Amino acid sequence: MDILKLAGERVEEAEAYEERREGIAVRFHGGEIEKAASEAVVGRALRVIAGGRLGFASTAGGDERSLVQAAVAAAAHGDPAPFHFPTLRDGSKASVFDPEIPGTPVDELIAWGEEAVRVIREEFPGLVVNVSLSRGVTEVAVRNTAGGECRERRSYLSMGVEAEHVQEGDIWLVYASRIVRRKADLDREALLAELLRYLRWGRAIATPPTGTPPVLFTPTGTTVLLLPLMVGFSGLAVFLGTSPLKGRLGEHAFDRRLSIVDDGTIPFGPRSRAFDDEGLPTSRLPLVEDGVVRGFFYDLRAAALASAEPTGNGMKGSPLGGGGFRNPPAPAPRNIVIQPGEGDLDELIRDMNDGLIVVDVLGLGQGNVQSGAFSNNVGVGFAVKQGRVVGRVKNTMIAGNAYEVLKQGVLAIGGEAEWVHGTMHTPPLLVQGVGVVAR
Amino acid sequence: MEAQLREAVRGSRADYTEVRWEEVFRSRVQFQRDQLLALEAGEERGGIVRALVRGAWGIAVFTDPAELPAKVREATELARTASAHVQDPVELSPVDPVEARYEGEMVRDFRGVPLEEKRKVAQGYNRAILSYSPKIVATSVRYTDTWRRVIYANSEGTYVEQGIPDVTMMLAAVARKNGDIQQAFESVGWAAGFEAVQNLEESAAVAAKRAVDLLAAKPLPGGHYTVILDPKLAGVFIHEAFGHICEADFLLRNEPLRRVLRIGNRFGVETLNVVDDGYIPGARGNAPYDDEGVPRRKVYLIQKGVLSGLMHSRATARKMGAEPTGNARAVSWEHEPIVRMRNTFIEPGDATFEEMLAGIEHGVYACAAFGGQTEFEQFTFSAAYGYEIVGGKIGPMVRDVVLTGNVFQTLRNIEMIGRDFQVEGSAGGCGKGAQAPLPVTDGAPHVRIRDVTVGGR
Repeated sequence: MDILKLAGERVEEAEAYEERREGIAVRFHGGEIEKAASEAVVGRALRVIAGGRLGFASTAGGDERSLVQAAVAAAAHGDPAPFHFPTLRDGSKASVFDPEIPGTPVDELIAWGEEAVRVIREEFPGLVVNVSLSRGVTEVAVRNTAGGECRERRSYLSMGVEAEHVQEGDIWLVYASRIVRRKADLDREALLAELLRYLRWGRAIATPPTGTPPVLFTPTGTTVLLLPLMVGFSGLAVFLGTSPLKGRLGEHAFDRRLSIVDDGTIPFGPRSRAFDDEGLPTSRLPLVEDGVVRGFFYDLRAAALASAEPTGNGMKGSPLGGGGFRNPPAPAPRNIVIQPGEGDLDELIRDMNDGLIVVDVLGLGQGNVQSGAFSNNVGVGFAVKQGRVVGRVKNTMIAGNAYEVLKQGVLAIGGEAEWVHGTMHTPPLLVQGVGVVAR
Repeated sequence: MEAQLREAVRGSRADYTEVRWEEVFRSRVQFQRDQLLALEAGEERGGIVRALVRGAWGIAVFTDPAELPAKVREATELARTASAHVQDPVELSPVDPVEARYEGEMVRDFRGVPLEEKRKVAQGYNRAILSYSPKIVATSVRYTDTWRRVIYANSEGTYVEQGIPDVTMMLAAVARKNGDIQQAFESVGWAAGFEAVQNLEESAAVAAKRAVDLLAAKPLPGGHYTVILDPKLAGVFIHEAFGHICEADFLLRNEPLRRVLRIGNRFGVETLNVVDDGYIPGARGNAPYDDEGVPRRKVYLIQKGVLSGLMHSRATARKMGAEPTGNARAVSWEHEPIVRMRNTFIEPGDATFEEMLAGIEHGVYACAAFGGQTEFEQFTFSAAYGYEIVGGKIGPMVRDVVLTGNVFQTLRNIEMIGRDFQVEGSAGGCGKGAQAPLPVTDGAPHVRIRDVTVGGR
């Protein structure tokens, strides 16, 4: 029996979520293939409103009846649901599926991995090279008792390459990755070029500048500044009062050159989708325009609590990990897009004269993220002297407050944006006001 | 599923085959401020096949039990494809086949506790935090319980059934004054029943008080300090900074790092002993067998300052000429076992806290951890809070205490190890690769370290 019918006999409203994941993955460890794997997973979740109260349950491999039973039991002790499930429309189609991806055989992934190992070792024979590749399709369906159904197949292809330099007293690790929805978008050459550039820059060890020098965050490094914003622009955090942006809609909270959009509609964007995990259409949502706070992102519940409109941001899991059928939906960004400025990376490096380049940090998200505070060990970073990269830095920490830096500290926004971490499209950011401590 | 599993591994044509089938029952309650964000109970079932063919692993993850025979063939086929590319084949260290059944103990089985009661307990703590002070603007109180029933069979005749309980409570408070937001938390996590999360009112008040106190605390200026780590932070330090590099899969194909981590190399003072223990009553890293069916052990990683052992799976043990230690663990049926810690701690030394404070002109007492990360020898930790040490005495509270450094250097800089000792069952978990959060515990006495880099603004 259909699960909504089954639930409908016992509750006022119900929403069924189903996720089917099928894919393969290979991993190379120390230049050598370690495993080839497949997955075929069906996970389901059910939200109900019973007696006006919200209940949630999830399962894999369980039967319909137990799932309904669990959701109803949860609702019996739940809180009043501040919203109703909306009628779903199978509206506009998003470009998120490439049939070339499920057709990609495991041998091809293995060949790409071997190629990556070969290219890096040709130039850097002493490095330990690890490669992860995966491809697959996730089919998501959302239905509810208000009627309608959303269903979508989303393909993904990801490649991550890690090069480890290991000597006693001097270990460092460089990582580059790509996550795409369309096979043709996986630029393996660019990925390896990025990695090789950092490895070449890192041949020499340099003394880092300390105090508050100019700091250039490359696209991967910008996460240090943007992670607090991903938390702070959540409509739930604003409602709960844990976001520093509470009550600041329309305010000039950021540098005037900064514009940020949360866009779920970009064709083949890594987190693009036609609908969110509550079945609402995704959208293009301006968060910051010319430095002014323009909006927050909401799921159904946060929107109802805050008397705002839902924005199609009800997601099972945050962009930087977690997720899947086990989680109830919560507000989270889709693709975060930073509007580029001018100049390529070399120009920015020239302009900063003496400073620090930050590519990757340790301890992302540790500490008081909500307040915007960051304090990180620089994992991959380089010293710049007189406009030239002179070598990698060691034992170096950066600290500051993302909100302060993005308001008063922006020196330049680069002109070349890239997809990073499978969630952000961002150019490099050159800033001041970041404290640098080194041993 | 017992018969199906035995049948599936028997019928496999791979060189070695194992199947793990899990039935997981869990519930969760979460409050943020006055909002009940989650109240749920659920169950899931899923399995994983791992097959070894000519030295390469093939893996298949699935949720439909009827697919098991097909998944054994699929994993075998994947392994065969990969094996054509292998130069350094995987081999498994021999172990004796075992037949075992085990269930973890609970004083009060949380599976029999009504969801309503779980909600009430969490809500009580949530109220206690919220009503502590008008400066408390938000909370995060989260209860979880998990009963993981694991059925394991391999083609060497091992068959193990284990029921493993896990229960956690996180009590977090957020205080706000003007634009300043500070947070503090207390948490527990044990391989135990519902009793482990009852009567925590005092902890809730401690978390609330600390969040409020942090509003008045000053950020610590960056620099180099002599630091005393409290047992919680010292436990996180030894787990994150040192434990992870003693997981032998890290070293398996990393010749240079193996030279650094050679058994017999000195890593610290004579009084430094570091252990990974497969069993401490009630601790989260417990289970008699790991996810390769290998019995647990107590492994000395550092004995009298010298590296004396590593944590192994069957594959790493074979490659490195060691014995498997029962540390091959998987976070769930979606993942293969990899080398992981269980209950990791620094053994107590002989110093009193007063002796440790003496002679520190200007230092830091760093307590508990918000988080931490390591990349080989490089580590960074955020202390949850701290105090300045001035003239050998505990001074004012400080915040934004982030410690960083090189683990080998830092271990060598350990000056004193306290005689007190605490095993920390916390609500978090360990992450490695894509596998998190794995239940583990840490433990340590107070530890004094000289010349630690502390980040700051």
